[in-house]
Amino acid sequence: MQPRLLSWLGIALTLLVAPAWAKSSTGDKVLIVTDAKLEMSDYSQFWDGLRSRGYELTFRKTSEDEPATSAFDVPSFSHIILLAPSAKTYPQDLSPQSLVHLLSDRTQPTNILFVLQPSTPSVPLRDLAREFGISFPPPATPLIDYFSAVSPANATSLLLSPPLSQHTAGFESGKILYHGISHLRSSNPLLVNFLNAPPTSYAADPLEPADAVVEAAASGGEGLWAGGRMGLVTGFEVLLGGGRAMWVGSLDLFADAATSIDGEATANNAYALALAAWTFQETSVLRIDAVEHRRISESAPREQYRIKDEIIYRIHVSKFDPTTGEWVPTSEIEDMQLEFTMLDPHIRTALKPASEEGWYEAQFMAPDRHGVFKFIVDWRRKGYTALHSSTTVSVVPFRHNEYPRFLSSAWPYYLGALSTSAAFVLFCALWLLGGDEEAKKKKTQ
Amino acid sequence: MTVLKLPTFSPSTLTNAASLLRILALAAIAGAAISSRLFAVVNFESIIHEFDPWFNYRATRVLASQGFTEFWNWFDPTAWYPLGRVVGGTIYPGLMATSGVIYNILHALHLPVDIRNVCVLLAPGFSGLTAWATYMLTKELKDESAGLLAAIFIGIAPGYISRSVAGSYDNEAIAIFLLMITFYIWIRALKDGSVLYGTLAAVFYYYMVAAWGGYAFITNMIPLHAFVLLLMGRFSHRLYSAYSAWYAVGTLASMQVPFVGFQPVQTSEHMAALGVFGLLQLIAFVEIVRSYVASKQFQVMLRWFLVASGIAGGLAIVGLTITKTIAPWTGRFYSLWDTGYAKKYIPIIASVSEHQPTAWPAFFMDLHMLIFLFPAGVILCFKELREEHVFVIIYAVMASYFAGVMVRLMLTLTPVVCMAAAIALSSLLDTYLSVEEPARPDSNGVDETSAPGADVPAEVTVSKKKKKDVAAAAAAAAAHSAATTATKAKTKPSATYGIFGLDTRLVVIVNAIFMLVMFVLHCTWVTSSAYSSPSVVLASRRPDGSQNIIDDFREAYYWLRQNTPQDAVVMSWWDYGYQIAGMADRPTLVDNNTWNNTHIATVGKAMSSSEEVSYPILRKHDVDYILIIFGGLIGYSGDDINKFLWMVRIAQGVWPDEIKEPNYFTPRGEYKVDDQASEAMKNSLMYKMSYYRFNELFSGSPAFDRVRNQQLPREGPKLDYIEEAFTSENWIVRIYEVKKEDPLGRDLKTANAFDGGKKRKPSKPTSRRRALTA
Amino acid sequence: MAPPKKVSTTASSSTSAITSALQDLVQSYKENTPKRVKIIDAFLLFIVLSGVAQFVYCALITNYPFNAFLAGFGSSIGQFVLTAAFRAQVNPATRSQFTIISPERAFADFCFGSIVLHFFVYNFLG
Repeated sequence: MQPRLLSWLGIALTLLVAPAWAKSSTGDKVLIVTDAKLEMSDYSQFWDGLRSRGYELTFRKTSEDEPATSAFDVPSFSHIILLAPSAKTYPQDLSPQSLVHLLSDRTQPTNILFVLQPSTPSVPLRDLAREFGISFPPPATPLIDYFSAVSPANATSLLLSPPLSQHTAGFESGKILYHGISHLRSSNPLLVNFLNAPPTSYAADPLEPADAVVEAAASGGEGLWAGGRMGLVTGFEVLLGGGRAMWVGSLDLFADAATSIDGEATANNAYALALAAWTFQETSVLRIDAVEHRRISESAPREQYRIKDEIIYRIHVSKFDPTTGEWVPTSEIEDMQLEFTMLDPHIRTALKPASEEGWYEAQFMAPDRHGVFKFIVDWRRKGYTALHSSTTVSVVPFRHNEYPRFLSSAWPYYLGALSTSAAFVLFCALWLLGGDEEAKKKKTQ
Repeated sequence: MTVLKLPTFSPSTLTNAASLLRILALAAIAGAAISSRLFAVVNFESIIHEFDPWFNYRATRVLASQGFTEFWNWFDPTAWYPLGRVVGGTIYPGLMATSGVIYNILHALHLPVDIRNVCVLLAPGFSGLTAWATYMLTKELKDESAGLLAAIFIGIAPGYISRSVAGSYDNEAIAIFLLMITFYIWIRALKDGSVLYGTLAAVFYYYMVAAWGGYAFITNMIPLHAFVLLLMGRFSHRLYSAYSAWYAVGTLASMQVPFVGFQPVQTSEHMAALGVFGLLQLIAFVEIVRSYVASKQFQVMLRWFLVASGIAGGLAIVGLTITKTIAPWTGRFYSLWDTGYAKKYIPIIASVSEHQPTAWPAFFMDLHMLIFLFPAGVILCFKELREEHVFVIIYAVMASYFAGVMVRLMLTLTPVVCMAAAIALSSLLDTYLSVEEPARPDSNGVDETSAPGADVPAEVTVSKKKKKDVAAAAAAAAAHSAATTATKAKTKPSATYGIFGLDTRLVVIVNAIFMLVMFVLHCTWVTSSAYSSPSVVLASRRPDGSQNIIDDFREAYYWLRQNTPQDAVVMSWWDYGYQIAGMADRPTLVDNNTWNNTHIATVGKAMSSSEEVSYPILRKHDVDYILIIFGGLIGYSGDDINKFLWMVRIAQGVWPDEIKEPNYFTPRGEYKVDDQASEAMKNSLMYKMSYYRFNELFSGSPAFDRVRNQQLPREGPKLDYIEEAFTSENWIVRIYEVKKEDPLGRDLKTANAFDGGKKRKPSKPTSRRRALTA
Repeated sequence: MAPPKKVSTTASSSTSAITSALQDLVQSYKENTPKRVKIIDAFLLFIVLSGVAQFVYCALITNYPFNAFLAGFGSSIGQFVLTAAFRAQVNPATRSQFTIISPERAFADFCFGSIVLHFFVYNFLG
């Protein structure tokens, strides 16, 4: 009875604290994959938080085959939370290849939240993470930090202050309790840093914490999983319209037990829900609604422009508002660029916000070359949805009657040709009029 | 006295009958010319052949559907993607305009002929007109009977048929007709000294400039003729009138064609005409001044003035050419003089199969017996050496040289060979068919001088094909009688003999008829077997003798047309560009126009580099599909692996550091595709695409390439960045699709390995500091 | 072709020979040329002047637009050669070389050629 009461209280609290209603832009169904060792009730606050945002949660164990992630090649769930860090094998529809396939689906992407246990990530997850550019330290080496630990004896439980950013909306401030592993990020531009390890931390066996440092010193500093470069929470945006993934190195971040430490409340719940909000495409989600291009002097778009035409290009961007579930025009983007490209950009100009909300426009003169050009908008910023638009038009040279005529520098030539013609007519007249001379001469001879 | 007794007719009946027979003969010749070009239409279907005609056909379709103004300003965004092609300014529009006019006339007469049929049948139609033009020209040289012979020769000679069968919708279809008619009008203008014919020659020259790039031949032939006449001392005001009218009006008219533009006053190919024009003005001026002053000294000084200004003008032209004010000879024409030039500097020109030197058998195959009658005819021209004969001699010499340099230029040799051979054969037949007997130079003084005049009507034979002109016979008889009256005084034997015996005549005439029959049989056989294949459809024979049609090309192009998005870009070697644009209707990267060497070299680099190097090039150019031709299964030797070395050479011309031709040969210098093939060859995109999954056809035993006659390695190539989209029935055309970037940002090779279940190596953090001293 | 009546005497130096020859030339021209041919010659002179003026303008000042220069200059040159050919066909001194062209036919040809020339000139001019 007690847990149930607590959970009802939790719901009430969450309803007071969390936003009243929050939706995802891609769907409501969440599949939570767990393994047999975990108790779902240990994470009840997190589930309640999710439910209050309108998600439908379905639980499944890794040993089960139902419910499947996709039926007849159509994804059944919009989001997946993989909470089974110790499972050795996954069923076929959760194999690493299938998960990548679900993430990459452009029409109905599935967002995945990977949560890892404190000590040893399972082998399938290890291999999958490498495809994302994420590498884990050797087995059984959690993160240790003597400076931000909760207590010196318990060096693996850290109190961290995550940075505030617009991608973790809903998390205002506070400390979180972190008990888990760090990971190494590659230079893949699709990775988004959410939380880095403290600079004084390193990954080592908690029973022999000094061994790692000694070994690394012997090999010249290589192999030491230490410093602020290591990541703890990393997001990943799949290219061009796919889903979002997130790798969280600590299972305990989501646990109910972590919501308070030594009687003080931590911000774990808010932070966990903020991470979920980003992963499930609630926050920082943008899209292009419309693209327009035309000559300045005209009103309708054309398939063919002429060289040296004045062209105006307008694009409408809107942002998803999780509180209302609507797409709202946004003029916040300050650095969007337009490229007018034929193999290489011939024109690169800034798209400035126009007077109407959500519209950005740029005006330029078509280059002197003719060819098939593309209007390319390619805006990628870490954490935001990438905006990409490509419109193909032709630029044709002057028509034969569009060249300048009657030039002033050509007047002598016009005069010459006209005078020759006039003289010719005059000569013909003279010749025909004086025609009798030949006959007269013949008569006189 | 006549050898044979023939029926007598009145002179007017004879002339009328003669003209009627000539008209009938010409009509029959035109019919023969047209029908012998229809083999391809009868055997296969009414389809456009080869490669270049497909582009001309597309352009004509635009003209027919959208009108002339749109055609004139047409910008084609699907050719040379993404550079596009300004078609209006880069083609010779004469051919399309002619088809358009014919199409509109037919539709105005309510005959709804499809534009494709107009295009397919245009060349045969104009070949009939070419026969007529050759008749007119040879008539000026000798007489009507030689003209008729020349007409039938050019009507069925394979040298001309090869470029004008039904379906070969290319510029040469109307260009040869325009060549002949321009030359005829030039000769008429020269003979009459008429400005009317000179201007008409200029107008037809303008039509020729609008129709074919080979107009430079006329631009240099007519001045060369005028110059040789000047050197022979045959300046006359007729020459001046004809040449000046032709040059002044013709050059101005030729600059109206946008593709030619200002070239007639800025390039070396046109300077000969300008030079001769200037020289003619000088000589005419000096002649007129000379006629006013008789002083010997002045005349000598005038002569020196003429020579000095001529040399000064020549030096000025040379100087301007050296300083590049006048463009030097372009590569296309320069390679005719320096035959090794193209292979070194412009591999694209050297790689075209039509630009290779002519092999000796080609002359016989294209011209049969005409090739050995041809020198005889040229020598006969030397005997009379009027101005038109000088022209034929010059034309013969230049055309023989050019035909020896390039197979393609057999086409310009064929008309003059037909004319000269006709002159020779006609002279032979004249001698052996003439029924007139020379008077005996014996003791009785009075000759039957009146007899030849009275006998003239009776002497005329009425034969089916060959016709003797009454005036020519009368002139010959009159000359002969004058000779005999002269010899009467000298008592020397006359130089003219006749052939009396019927048996002698029969031997020669029957032999000549036999050779003509052989000529007709040979031409028809060569046309039907060698020159009537549409090359879009291949035909071969099965072991049981029945015909096997190989339609892989169209199968693949129509697959592209029906299964790919409208704006999917297709990359292939430039040979197939026009066909892909015409039949598959998709944007192509390079095509047969070959105007941009760097773009072609880019395609060559993509084909000859490894997948990792090619992929960025493919993505930059938005390529969606790659199309290659592979003949290894059925033994089709015109495939891309055989052309591969040209791709390498052309790419090497632009990127000599990255692509090196020796890398694609084995260490011993052989071109191999089996397991001895070099690494660069095995990793090249073209090799992989050609032999991908090829060994699956051979179920266990190693694959065998029937064109290269080599056995392929057991392990076939693997593809990561592209995937197979379509392979035609006989594996001739293979189409591959270019994969988009990996969603997780990996390179496609590792992505494919992951999909196959492979695992990556783990990575470790590297140190950012120097090593700690332990 | 009738030789002139006067025969100039050979002078000692070549320059005086040239000047006297030139004087002979002018004199002979005035005497032996029919009046109609002189009209043709006047027309020729006008065309030459107009052409030279256009060429000097092009060479010294600017050759843009080149097509207008070619059209105007080509008009002068074309008209000049057509008229010179007409002169040769009509002048009694040289008419004998043209066996089948009568002076009337020569004039008709001349008009035809000139009209075609002017058509191309105006097409190219602007």
